[in-house]
Amino acid sequence: MGPPTRRAVVAGVAALAAGAPLAGCARARDGGDVDGSLRFWAMGYEGDYSPILMPAFTRATGVRVEVQSLPWTAAHEKLLTAHAGGALPDVMMLPNGWVGEFAMIGALAPPADPALFASMFPGVADTVAYAGRPHAVPWSVAPQMQFYRRDLLAMADHDEPPGDWDAWRAAGLKLKRRRPDDYYVLLYLNWWDGLFSFAGQAGARLLRDRDTHGNFRSPEFARALEFYKSLFDLGLAPRAMSTQIEDPVAAFARGMFAIYPRGPSLLVDLLDLLNLRGPARRIARDRWSVARLPGPDGPGATTGVSGALAVSAASRRADDAWALVRHLTSVPSELRFQPLIGNLPARADAWPAMRLEPDLLRPFAEQLADPAPSPNIPEWERIRTEVTLSAERVVRGLMTLKEGLADMDRRADAVLARRRALVDAGKIA
Amino acid sequence: MTRQERTAWIFAGPVLAVIALVFVLPTAMALSLSVTDYSIYALADWSNLSFVGLGNFAALFGDPLFWRALGNTVLFAVLGVPMAVGTSLGAALLLNDRAMRWKPVWRVALFAPYVTSVVATAVVWRFLFNERYGLLNRALGAIGLPAVDWLGDPATSVPAILLFVTWKIFGYNMIVFTAALSAVPGDLMEAARLDGAGPWRRFRHVTLPAIGPVLILAAVMSVAGFLQLFAEPYVMTLGGPAQSTTTVLYFMFEEGFKWWNLGLASAVALVLFFLILAVTLVQARIGRRYEWL
Repeated sequence: MGPPTRRAVVAGVAALAAGAPLAGCARARDGGDVDGSLRFWAMGYEGDYSPILMPAFTRATGVRVEVQSLPWTAAHEKLLTAHAGGALPDVMMLPNGWVGEFAMIGALAPPADPALFASMFPGVADTVAYAGRPHAVPWSVAPQMQFYRRDLLAMADHDEPPGDWDAWRAAGLKLKRRRPDDYYVLLYLNWWDGLFSFAGQAGARLLRDRDTHGNFRSPEFARALEFYKSLFDLGLAPRAMSTQIEDPVAAFARGMFAIYPRGPSLLVDLLDLLNLRGPARRIARDRWSVARLPGPDGPGATTGVSGALAVSAASRRADDAWALVRHLTSVPSELRFQPLIGNLPARADAWPAMRLEPDLLRPFAEQLADPAPSPNIPEWERIRTEVTLSAERVVRGLMTLKEGLADMDRRADAVLARRRALVDAGKIA
Repeated sequence: MTRQERTAWIFAGPVLAVIALVFVLPTAMALSLSVTDYSIYALADWSNLSFVGLGNFAALFGDPLFWRALGNTVLFAVLGVPMAVGTSLGAALLLNDRAMRWKPVWRVALFAPYVTSVVATAVVWRFLFNERYGLLNRALGAIGLPAVDWLGDPATSVPAILLFVTWKIFGYNMIVFTAALSAVPGDLMEAARLDGAGPWRRFRHVTLPAIGPVLILAAVMSVAGFLQLFAEPYVMTLGGPAQSTTTVLYFMFEEGFKWWNLGLASAVALVLFFLILAVTLVQARIGRRYEWL
């Protein structure tokens, strides 16, 4: 086999020449919806399983929906590129942290119908606001919690994880002495969730001066980073990235770690709602439970990634698009979805009808009543990523704590340079 | 214009047009983008776009991560090219040996990784590299060596990825080398043997000059390939741990498509372009000096 044969090349060129104009026409005609169906993009389990919700919508409205599932790791660039290329779907799922960014670039149509926000949890609508006005409709709420192995914590003489940092860490040390080859908690070095949850619990304000400068050298954030680092230094958490642990739920079942901080989507795996694992590979229900994350002096406010639904400003079928949003966020849809993928409805009036053990639901409800504010600016996603990279260097001992905090401020200020200039010029708020 | 010239233009015209459309035009656009501060704010409102001259290049050369990415890329190329080309040559020499049996089977088996999907094989290799359960660490354990956290330690992540890349790509050059080796004149080899040349001297003075041009070509292509390493770290490590596998292309991808700083990303693209051009020119000069090209 060498270079392709001449015949293959000729055939390829001919196919390109024939195919390209066709593809171009289809895209240009109606924003990409070739067969007249509404386009919907979603990430994670929501993307995989929302086709199940669509037949009911099609029956009621006669509108067909084409669902595309995006991987979380590539969703941000995919959506941005789609906006730049004029190829955004009619309806898309966005985590609340991205709404401000996509609203700023003019990609989103703000919802006009206040009924969409009826009976939302308090504070949830604020997380999708831009310029004082919501630009998406909250769909699910996902506060960061800790799932724990009861049998393993019992080895450290605890029924549930202690609520304050010192006792929580002490329980981990006790467990580590009993099981030196395993760990206490799984915190991925390339995910921001753990560190920022601790920062939220410590009450850190992450940006200052109208969100134009990093505020990571504040005593609160320093305290959170110190605690975070100590978990790795003491061997309580593996120095691992998300690419290194192929099946964290299986690792949790094997007892590689006793505490797994995650959002409610882990319920799907632990309860095996989709019956993917089979009884033999499940963790028995009496051997795990869920609690709020520890805070410096007991559980406090944490941020979480909530899913929201937004309609593209470029959609030519805004009415159908809003009908789809209304359908997906309706109580029946939420109740149909919840047992499938474990997400928790953003509307409080769907909660009483949920068929989930009250023991499991209670900590989530408590945490939802205590949300932590997070900056809603386009750069936030990047700042979080950059800060996580600095934190990784601190954890690996490539930087001291103090250098790490200064590095975080330096990175945040560099990312915010453009915004600073625009704020100073009075072009944006 | 003579009739002959006209005919020549008719034949060359379509190709030139395509080159202008898919190569010259995008390059010119990237060049013009690289002197602006195109960012997500420009996407929101064109009035936020401004001309910054060489500001992007200044920012780039002042960014420690860019230098780290450049250093990582050079490390990948310096270690990877000899590793990949050497493996290809070694495999080709073995395949070319007369004592070798089942040659077509070996050729197919060794070439197979090249035609598999990068992403799929990278995921499989992630399992092989797993610290606790990976095959590689099992093998190390069997001969009494301690386990290595291949993809989790900044010191071993580059070798780990190089191991994977070499396995993935050596088959292609191996096939090229087998073709070149079959053209090594047998009578020359025979004469060298009669003159008492050992295996090494036969390789050095008969085989190597004969396959020299092919070797240079393989090296040029490999250098260009390694300088553009992206998919492997993207799938296996996401540029980590501690950004030890962030390459220039990965850096450009993050700046451009993840964070939408297209001005800065275009500047990176130009730097990379000139880097590859410079290295290729040096290699071509070396090849000419030894009269291989």
